[in-house]
Amino acid sequence: MNIILPDNSGRTVDPAPRTIEQVLMELGINPIEVIVSVNGKLVPEDVIVSGNDEIRIVRVAHGG
Amino acid sequence: MKGCDCCGEPAIARVREPNRHFCATHFTGFFEDRVGRTIRDDNMIKPGDRIALALSGGKDSRALILVLSHLLPVWENVHLVAITIDEGIEGYRDETVRAARELTAILGIEHHTVSFEDLFGNNLDTLLVGREREACTVCGIIRKKALTVAAEQYSATKIATGHNLDDEAQSVLMNTLRGDLPRFVRDAAQENPYFIPRIKPLSLTPEKEIAIYLMVNNAWNVLPECPYTRFALRAEVRGMLTKLEYRYPGTMLHLIETKKKIGRYCAGAQVSEPIRRCRECGDPCSADLCQVCQLRHSLGR
Repeated sequence: MNIILPDNSGRTVDPAPRTIEQVLMELGINPIEVIVSVNGKLVPEDVIVSGNDEIRIVRVAHGG
Repeated sequence: MKGCDCCGEPAIARVREPNRHFCATHFTGFFEDRVGRTIRDDNMIKPGDRIALALSGGKDSRALILVLSHLLPVWENVHLVAITIDEGIEGYRDETVRAARELTAILGIEHHTVSFEDLFGNNLDTLLVGREREACTVCGIIRKKALTVAAEQYSATKIATGHNLDDEAQSVLMNTLRGDLPRFVRDAAQENPYFIPRIKPLSLTPEKEIAIYLMVNNAWNVLPECPYTRFALRAEVRGMLTKLEYRYPGTMLHLIETKKKIGRYCAGAQVSEPIRRCRECGDPCSADLCQVCQLRHSLGR
């Protein structure tokens, strides 16, 4: 699976099916602090991703 | 794919406490209902109020102005005026001021910008040279003054800020860590002859949900974070709290509830110095000199 991190850098992770929450925890990212889209669509973090899914992680910026 | 608990359409968000899934439409409804309830439960807005909304252009104030503009028809004769305080922070404030201007133009809301330079003769970057660790304290004192001056200039009866649940929970914990009881129990929303009451309609809304609300309402902008954030105790407290919130959902709300309970126990007790007038500028304060005058002296101005 392709991941686009909050700093716009890319990573590839194991394509085995699991929740976005699990993927975030593997990356050391707290799900409370980010919003995730899968293949261009905003999704909740308990959605299962796998295979060739493209995951974009956006950090919720502070201050506002 | 998860379905919306209300209609079965694909869910775009999960609310953790309580555990629910929403599509874009029902998430917006849930979000706005909660803000409306927060306003009603704390009697934040009355008919005839003229509300100065602190619009930094960042996500929280953008969400605040959006949701209030949607809820406004509910209140009789309530007027919104947006005020943006420009501290002059290089690489940060220009973009957010621009975002604020664009949004108020789209919403048709009166908007004014007030700069630190105009009010105090210097921008924040200049004032903070060699004092970056005090950035949030210095900025907070001057912004509060700037907002008050602007709110008075535009005849506001209330000042609305975009402080969210995360901000409020962080403040409770920070004031506890500092042993600052007066600040801990202070309720700036209370009617007071000295100050324009401040209301926080997003105070029970998690920060993440604010971002989702903006995204699903096409009002999300990727804006920079304030470069002084990293110097603050708040940055460390934020990290601690989000870890706790993830493991123990509801932690932040419990902190707010605790503050309210302690506030009720302290009601009527003298926990801080009585309000008096600053001996230099005449502004209301709890010391001989107000915070702005104290700051001016420490900056040698």
